[in-house]
Amino acid sequence: MSNEFEQFQDAFFEEAAEHLAIVEEGLLQLERHPEDLDLLNKIFRSAHSIKGASGMFGFDAVAQFTHKMETLLDLLRSGKKSVTPGLTDLLLKSTDCLKTLLDGVKLNAPVDDNVVQRLSTELAAVSAGEGERASASSPTAVAEPPASSGGAYDIRWTPPEWLFRRGLDPLQIFKELARIGRLGRVNVDTSRLPDLNNMNPETCYLSWTMRLETAASPKEVESVFEFVREDGELSIEAVAVPDSAPTVSGADVQREAKSATLEISEGGPKSIGEILVESGAVSKEALERALSQQKRVGEILIEQKAATPQQIEQALQTQRQMEAAAQAKKADTASIRVDTAKIDKLINLVGELVITQSMLSDLGTRFEMGQVHVLLERIAQLERNTREIQERVMSIRMVPIGTAFSRFPRLVRDLAAKLGKKIQLVLSGEETELDKTVIEAIGDPLTHLVRNAADHGLEMPEERLDNNKPETGVIKLNAFHESGNICITVEDDGRGLNRDKILAKAVKQGLVADGAALSDDQIHALIMKPGFSTAEQVSDLSGRGVGMDVVKRNIEALGGTVSIKTVLGKGTTFTLKLPLTLAIIEGMTIRVGRETYIVPMLSILESIQPKPEAVKTIVGNGELIDVRGIYLPVIRLYEVFNVQPEYEDPAKAILLVVETEGERVAVMVDEILGQQQVVIKSMEQNFRKVQGIAGATILGDGTVGFILDVRGLLEIARQEAAAADAA
Amino acid sequence: MGKTALVVDDSPTMRQMVAFTLMNAGFTVIEAEHGKDAVKKIAGKKMDIVVTDLNMPEMDGIALIKELRKSADFKYTPILMLTTESAVEKKMAGKEAGATGWIVKPFNPDVLLKTIAKVLPT
Repeated sequence: MSNEFEQFQDAFFEEAAEHLAIVEEGLLQLERHPEDLDLLNKIFRSAHSIKGASGMFGFDAVAQFTHKMETLLDLLRSGKKSVTPGLTDLLLKSTDCLKTLLDGVKLNAPVDDNVVQRLSTELAAVSAGEGERASASSPTAVAEPPASSGGAYDIRWTPPEWLFRRGLDPLQIFKELARIGRLGRVNVDTSRLPDLNNMNPETCYLSWTMRLETAASPKEVESVFEFVREDGELSIEAVAVPDSAPTVSGADVQREAKSATLEISEGGPKSIGEILVESGAVSKEALERALSQQKRVGEILIEQKAATPQQIEQALQTQRQMEAAAQAKKADTASIRVDTAKIDKLINLVGELVITQSMLSDLGTRFEMGQVHVLLERIAQLERNTREIQERVMSIRMVPIGTAFSRFPRLVRDLAAKLGKKIQLVLSGEETELDKTVIEAIGDPLTHLVRNAADHGLEMPEERLDNNKPETGVIKLNAFHESGNICITVEDDGRGLNRDKILAKAVKQGLVADGAALSDDQIHALIMKPGFSTAEQVSDLSGRGVGMDVVKRNIEALGGTVSIKTVLGKGTTFTLKLPLTLAIIEGMTIRVGRETYIVPMLSILESIQPKPEAVKTIVGNGELIDVRGIYLPVIRLYEVFNVQPEYEDPAKAILLVVETEGERVAVMVDEILGQQQVVIKSMEQNFRKVQGIAGATILGDGTVGFILDVRGLLEIARQEAAAADAA
Repeated sequence: MGKTALVVDDSPTMRQMVAFTLMNAGFTVIEAEHGKDAVKKIAGKKMDIVVTDLNMPEMDGIALIKELRKSADFKYTPILMLTTESAVEKKMAGKEAGATGWIVKPFNPDVLLKTIAKVLPT
């Protein structure tokens, strides 16, 4: 029906998601402020917008369901019903249901009709009584004109006096009538026209009688008067006409109407059945009968015993999955909404860049050595332009983290109800911007942390009171920028981590040796060890082990780090440190022989120049270095990449201590060159995956520099140790 | 000179659909998010037609229609409101405020253009 509108579907889904978030957030706030009318209006408007637009795309299930929500919301905002926890709960559940309905049309995801049905009934039930008002009031009843015999109509029309004041014009009506038929005699009645002194030029004093000869139905004729018929006086009477006008039989009109609907409903080329029906050769009923006898491929195969029903069912399921996957893939090519101000600024900057470039080429055509200072000035300007453009382009991909935070009020509310705890969620820094991909990727780890904080971090209300803490526990989510990174903290004021219990458990799990001297930080890091999580729960230990290793892995995959701060009995803070974007990293450039490599800054802990005796070779562990009492494996980068180094003696070279996934390793290099931002170019896309290398970049002098993959290097160290052992 | 249209809707999707249809039909379109935005954007301008949603933040459609009818530039300009089947009261209020006509959502581009043709002065 609305093919031309299809291109707006993506925009609609994006908008609907925003409205859903507004509705959900609003309902959660409404629980605390049931009297807030502005809030109710806002929620209502969002629901209303979803309803209106979904109807435009023919998503009727969505539109109908939203209409039911809207009806209830309307009763609430008009004060005909008051906000109760039961109602907000129902509306929240309905919001979830609406979400699945929207996903249903967007991704072809399965929708549980029972849930939809149950909620629809419930919504209708609570809105009943007062609800009738919303649906029952039909427009001022107009006597349905007698059924048409086709031919002609006598029309008498006295428009309302204020016709002109609503931007209407009788002339429009006559033109419209003339379009659908032939206007015969038109008589104007001027009897109500006052004399000039008393006449108000904005008032309509006229009325008309006319005859319209047309094949149009009475409904069509009436629709010409659509905007005025409820107010003035209008009568439309069908009259028999002598054979002057071409008469069309009712049956013909009907057939025309039928074929018209067929044409509209079908987008692609017509099937033979449709064409036959249209031409009148076959009735629609006959066609349907014939079609119902046609068998599907699956049925035929089963009949011929070529396949079992199970096989067919399985194949059908695979087909459905493939369709869903294809849909999901399509939906995955997401768009991003960018503030026009950002684009305008960018265009301005490009303009400046072009000016600088033309100034430079102008200088180049007639350059003399005396102008070197001018040249340097221009180059500095070019640099400034480039940096600014880079920043602006990056900012296009930046979205506020609030979108990732928005799911938590609901999550915490539901968790609190389920766990029987009192929890207050405090969000701050929602406006902090970061890369859209990063935002999408941190959703799950964050959810995990918040869930853990609610589940294991916070105590039950009684326990809190016993410990002289307020009954309501607090979970704080905060985001902020810090030296080119973004930090997200998840903080609770619960019981904190118990280092002794963690240590005891880790020893039992064989993760650390009995009696090992570990710092607090190292002990807390244990809960993120893969082995720690799969173990059975120790009930009085905060039990944060569940899936923490997954959180850490996800964050590290984004080039970030996770750190823990905890005070026993006071609470725990998890800090996620993430790069602003995945496309550019802050790197340390290092040199080995004549090659330059880049090490991601985030993974570097320190650099040292060891004493000769600090480096030892231990059987089974390869080469190790003693860093203040802790032994770290040493990786000689020149060996890994097979280049000629300047130094082969660790005491002369420099060792970079890098960390990933809680493991540390010392990487031996010749020299540290400096720190710079580098743009990551993928190895896989341009060459192939190389172990130990995360990607490549183009250096200032135009050569290619490799970005080291610290995790891959650790892997290499392990393999070498094993190989050395075997030898 | 082509015709000009003011399209007011707080839903960007709806607004774009209406604006897009009108632009394809040769209109120059001014888009506004709500009544206040519309009033600001049309200051000192005349439009050939106004299409407005009713439920909007800041200033809703009814208030906008009243406001427009007060100005000499919009006294006789056709104003169409976007309504839904069930919002009969809103429609009546809109008419009282001076709306010329209405388009019931959901509609297709054809209906939109036909309805506009019905009220557009020639």
